[in-house]
Amino acid sequence: MFGKIASFEFRYQLRQPAFWVIAIVFGLLAFGAVASPNVSLGSGGNVHKNAPYALAGAHIIFNVFFMLATTAIVANVIARDTQTGFGPLVLSTRITKGAYLYGRFLGAFAAVALCYLSIAIGTLLGTFMPWVDPETIGPLRLGDYAYAYLVFGLTGVFLTSALFFTLATVTRSMMATYIGVVAVLIAYLASTGALGSRPEFETAMAWAEPFGSGAYALVTKYWTAAERNTLNPPLEGVLLWNRVIWTAVGFALLAAAWALYRPSPKGAKLRKQERLKALVETDAPPAAPVGALPRPSYGFRSALTQLVSRTRFEMALVFRSPAWVVLVLLAFAFAVATLFFTGEIYGAPILLVTRVVITALMGTFGLISMVIAIYYSGELVWRDRDRRTHEIVDATPTPDWTFLVPKTLALALVLISTLAVGVLAGVVTQTIKGYTDFEFDKYLFWYVLPQGLSFTLLAVLAIFIQSLSPNKFVGWAIMVVYLISTIVAVNMGFDHVLYRYGAGIGVPLSDMNGTGDFARFNAWTDAYWTAFATLLLVVAWGLWRRGTETRLWPRLKRFPHRLAGPAGLVAGVALVAFVGLGSFIYVNTNVWNDYRSRDAREAEQAAYEKALLRYETTPQPSVAHMQLAMDLRPHQPKLTTRGTYVLENRTDAPLREVHLRWTEDLDMVRLDVEGAAVAREWPEFEYRIYRFAAPMQPGERRTVTFETVLEQRGFRASGNTTRLVDNGTFVNNMEFAPMIGMSRQGLLDDRSKRRKLGLPAELRPAKLEDETARGRNYIGADWTTADITVTTDANQTVVAPGRMVSDVVRGDRRTSRFVTESPVLNFFSVQSAEYERTARMHDGVELVVFHDPDHDRNVPRMLDALAASLDYFQANFSPYQFRQARIVEFPDYASFAQSYPNTFAWSEGLGFITDLSDETKIDYVTYVAAHEFAHQWWAHQVVGSDQQGATALSETLAQYSALMVMEKLYGREQIRRFLKDELDGYLSARGMERLEELPLMRVENQQYIHYQKGGLVMYLLRDQIGEDAVNRALRRVLAQYAFRGAPWPRSLDLVAALRAEAPADKQALITDLFEKITLYDVKITGATATKRADGRWDVAVTVEARKLYADGEGVETEAPLNETFDVGLFTAEPGKGVFDEEDVILLERRPIRSGTQTLRFVVDREPEFAGADPFNKWIDRNSDDNVRPVG
Amino acid sequence: MLTIENLTHVYGNGTRALDDVSLTIPKGMFGLLGPNGAGKSTLMRSIATLQTPTSGSIRFGDIDVIREPEKLRRVLGYLPQDFGVYPRVSAYDMLDHMAVLKGIANGRERKDTVTALLHQVNLWPVRGKALAGFSGGMRQRFGIAQALIGNPELIIVDEPTAGLDPEERNRFLNLLAEVGENVVVILSTHIVEDVTDLCPRMAVLAGGKIQLEGAPTDLMHSLEGKVWRRTIDKAELAEFQKRHNVISTRLLGGRTVVHVLSDGHPGDGFERAPGGLEDVYLATVAASRRAA
Repeated sequence: MFGKIASFEFRYQLRQPAFWVIAIVFGLLAFGAVASPNVSLGSGGNVHKNAPYALAGAHIIFNVFFMLATTAIVANVIARDTQTGFGPLVLSTRITKGAYLYGRFLGAFAAVALCYLSIAIGTLLGTFMPWVDPETIGPLRLGDYAYAYLVFGLTGVFLTSALFFTLATVTRSMMATYIGVVAVLIAYLASTGALGSRPEFETAMAWAEPFGSGAYALVTKYWTAAERNTLNPPLEGVLLWNRVIWTAVGFALLAAAWALYRPSPKGAKLRKQERLKALVETDAPPAAPVGALPRPSYGFRSALTQLVSRTRFEMALVFRSPAWVVLVLLAFAFAVATLFFTGEIYGAPILLVTRVVITALMGTFGLISMVIAIYYSGELVWRDRDRRTHEIVDATPTPDWTFLVPKTLALALVLISTLAVGVLAGVVTQTIKGYTDFEFDKYLFWYVLPQGLSFTLLAVLAIFIQSLSPNKFVGWAIMVVYLISTIVAVNMGFDHVLYRYGAGIGVPLSDMNGTGDFARFNAWTDAYWTAFATLLLVVAWGLWRRGTETRLWPRLKRFPHRLAGPAGLVAGVALVAFVGLGSFIYVNTNVWNDYRSRDAREAEQAAYEKALLRYETTPQPSVAHMQLAMDLRPHQPKLTTRGTYVLENRTDAPLREVHLRWTEDLDMVRLDVEGAAVAREWPEFEYRIYRFAAPMQPGERRTVTFETVLEQRGFRASGNTTRLVDNGTFVNNMEFAPMIGMSRQGLLDDRSKRRKLGLPAELRPAKLEDETARGRNYIGADWTTADITVTTDANQTVVAPGRMVSDVVRGDRRTSRFVTESPVLNFFSVQSAEYERTARMHDGVELVVFHDPDHDRNVPRMLDALAASLDYFQANFSPYQFRQARIVEFPDYASFAQSYPNTFAWSEGLGFITDLSDETKIDYVTYVAAHEFAHQWWAHQVVGSDQQGATALSETLAQYSALMVMEKLYGREQIRRFLKDELDGYLSARGMERLEELPLMRVENQQYIHYQKGGLVMYLLRDQIGEDAVNRALRRVLAQYAFRGAPWPRSLDLVAALRAEAPADKQALITDLFEKITLYDVKITGATATKRADGRWDVAVTVEARKLYADGEGVETEAPLNETFDVGLFTAEPGKGVFDEEDVILLERRPIRSGTQTLRFVVDREPEFAGADPFNKWIDRNSDDNVRPVG
Repeated sequence: MLTIENLTHVYGNGTRALDDVSLTIPKGMFGLLGPNGAGKSTLMRSIATLQTPTSGSIRFGDIDVIREPEKLRRVLGYLPQDFGVYPRVSAYDMLDHMAVLKGIANGRERKDTVTALLHQVNLWPVRGKALAGFSGGMRQRFGIAQALIGNPELIIVDEPTAGLDPEERNRFLNLLAEVGENVVVILSTHIVEDVTDLCPRMAVLAGGKIQLEGAPTDLMHSLEGKVWRRTIDKAELAEFQKRHNVISTRLLGGRTVVHVLSDGHPGDGFERAPGGLEDVYLATVAASRRAA
């Protein structure tokens, strides 16, 4: 009986179109993920698209979206008997409840499980597609597919099948079930979104995440690309238990279905009867006919009443529907959860300024708003039909527009209300986090109105589609396909605003510059798409289904007839507006500005590289001095620069040519080189070669004079300038002045695109051993002096490199002149805005913060940080080369801080909104200030040659310097916490390496190596050889290389200096840290304490240790370990909760060797915890097992 | 006066729901009788502007219904065979909303209309309750209330009594009788008594064609003395159907009562039956089936 029911159900499901549609859709999605170069699920970097890691990732992730599909199959298994009225017939047979429920479930689940195979099949097919980059595909290993399918696919769909089967069977309502799906989906996305990326929750997530992603992520956390490509984690521990527990939950849900299922829906029937009885049914004779009732009228008033009444009616139906309430509540919860953790950097929270809240809300409420727009457009268009009121309603004399317009209007208002709930979520979270400057004007104008319009445009499209579709499901399906296709189209490079429905010009937000000119640009595209949407509405009106005719053809036939009259007029006006605005936008984006598709841009990048990269190493003269007169019109925006370079031949041979290049956006009005003429020019690449009539002899000087205009006319489809803006101009010299020689800047870097365009897959820096590379530094700029005069609006302040020697206001213009007092790299910025200037003198140096008047919260801390940094660096490195150190704020169009000569450009989105109120958190402001300040030595005095290891001299040393400043201010405990995060970051990032991991000494600008590993290495070395020795070594490097030109220093010079200062027994350690990729693994396997007769304690600690060398792919080989590690006994667990010096019973250095060893101690107090390298100073593959409770 | 000429409607699947229907319907109650699937609802919907017939014309007074549906809707009151309600909306709100749609723009007038109609159909006490909870009879009374908004000149009620219990049906017909004096009311039904009780004129629609048209009394006269009845065993039925023009069979106490149509005495022990409208109807339908 059971088997028959199951097999009947299975065959029934296989005959349903839903089954095949789902299989095809998910198969295509999986196929697309493999076959399209722009999509990756778990793959990426060196991880193959069919790596076990990627397969597991796909099988986990698809579970989330497959919930909708699962539900489509399992939910109607029982519910359809109720819907079709077939239930009583089935139930009157002798079938048992168990056989009925579970037979049906098993059959449907088998169909779901079969359907889920489409993901494996799609992936498999994708790997065979000829256009797929073979480098991204590993060998075919069916076992990996089986592992992913069985461990994650099957268990996941079992859980969701059981859940939604039970929900549907108990509620017997498809509506309730789908609300359940959406609720689960959003709760899942919200909780994983909020907690998934936070390391402190990773263990909790490993247990609680129902599809195994948390467990899988934890188990494979530090896997390298090699491991991800070849290994499946063994089914044990948390991974096994996660799958077992959640499968058990599935069975429990099925049991609940049996317990809660009632064969006949008596309850509902009974309730209805009672309700009817409750309706008073007096059998009074009908009242006499009322005589003439008021007569209808059909004027404007009537139309207006109908509009208002219909709109309210439609809105009420949405607001009262449970789905809306559920969706919005979920969005609210999701938004609050996300906002709560928004923007933390190194665990340091930021102030929830409204701008940040809005950016976050656009993400969290965007999805919900989109769902509401699409779902309710279907519901509203089809509601009268679904509720079978259409015959009554359609026979009334209301004109058709009183259906269409109110539905559109109602939906727009519903969307705006939804966005208002988002604002509420923002305000609530801001209040919780203690930020009360709510800035409702920004909420309204930056968020509610623009987003409301954008989703309304989407809703209009959906309404249009629905009015053409044969039913709402087709309409919804078309909308989903449309949304996916828009994403695909953009990914394929079709991204112009003129043909992407509803697309706008990006409006980046800044508290300094507001919405700048961007909102104005965007208004044009908004108007353009609104005109188009109006056309869509007219067409939708013309084809409106009225009465019982649902076929499209008869409606199409009467369409032209219906356009005669006001509708035609509206359509005509809309069409004229659409074409007119479109033409205007086209002139802006394609005539006044360059528009190229992504493919065209990439082809040009490739052509540029092919034509000019060969000049990269051509010896060039250097700029020895420059004089610039800049005229900035921030509101135009326009920057005119007239300048002179004094070129100097610093090479030891005569130079015949000088190569000059500038950026594409720059208009080179004039460019003359003394004693030279243009020998060759590539106008399309803004590159010229000037040949000297008489070659430039070594040491000889020549001048270059130029005039440039940097300006944007009108607006672009994308990439509007964020550099020249009303308030917060931030340009660097490469943007407004010619550069000398060729560099790798702006070259294509995507490996597969490079190969496709006939370029080598990657451009790597010169090897460390390549002496010829020492002729250039990695920044591509030589030492120069500068004399810069900038004129800007009188109410703005200019900051340029060097010291301001004059500042004159004439009329509404201000002219400031800056002169450098020490050589600077020919790489600097000019900034101009309405700044407030807060300054402090410290040790003869003027410390200044130029900031927006409203952004003064952290300014004192910044000045403190600069002072502390100055003290440490001058005491331990060398005197500071300038008389000012200036932090200059710029709008949040980019989120970074960068060190220019005596200037630190700092985004308003970073330290200016850091929340420093919690003193236990990392002081991010001081950390960044110290890091950037340190670059005045490590980059602006010593700058690495253009080859491997260059950034070890700048970024690694800036990191070290910042750590030392932080340690002096806050003590070691905060540094330990910081370094624990750095260790985690390093170990995770190396798994995503694209090329190969390199030793620190050979770092190729890999951030996880020069920042994260670099900081760890330097701090460990400091611990092992002492702060003085390290700083002596750094002074050595400065003495040898500060402000010297070619040959530029290498990382080898740093290593040599460290070796010179380190004792003989640490030389091997330096080799391991700098020259190799070395990983340590120390763990405590046992710790016991026994009380002695004299009241003291005998403690035995068993330590297991090993040392591993890894190659660039992550393949490890063991090597003998022989180092001294901290070993400690504590009364509290270090690194967790409250821990201070009193908790340390013993802390000493002990030699640790490979293998197992037992260390013995005698101590006065009873230890609770024992630790080997308890503070995680070493690069430990598993830093969680270094401490263990004693006992 | 509603004039229908040569109205034909063919559905997409080839079903000829209306086949050259011509009718003239004067003021007063007009009964349109026909079995399920006869094309009644198609005809009603075509008149109510809800679908466009394949060919033919419908005129109501000066209005060409097919070309100017907007004009007809202004004088139309329509109660479809089957209609649903919005969830969570009360009778009052829904009727008020219908009044808006019908063009009663003035708030006070609308209130008067809704109040009067709810009283008239005896739903005033339950005006605040959700329509979704109403019984079939209450729902139909709501349906007639909304049809009466704005003094329609043409009222179409399609199968209003189907599924109602006798008491509810009675109540509904009483209500209908009151409104059908000075306007055209078309009552489409498959229940003969509805027509007998209410309509001075009627037509029978079967197989998409008008089979019969006239005043019920006249039509009954035409069968005077031609209907014969006999009670037989079930087993004999087939034989009787072969020999006689059987127009109806009905079970009575386990045996079968057959009615046959015959100008003279059909023999076989038949006795004369008093010809009712039902016999007229059944005879017509039976004839149309044989012709088909």
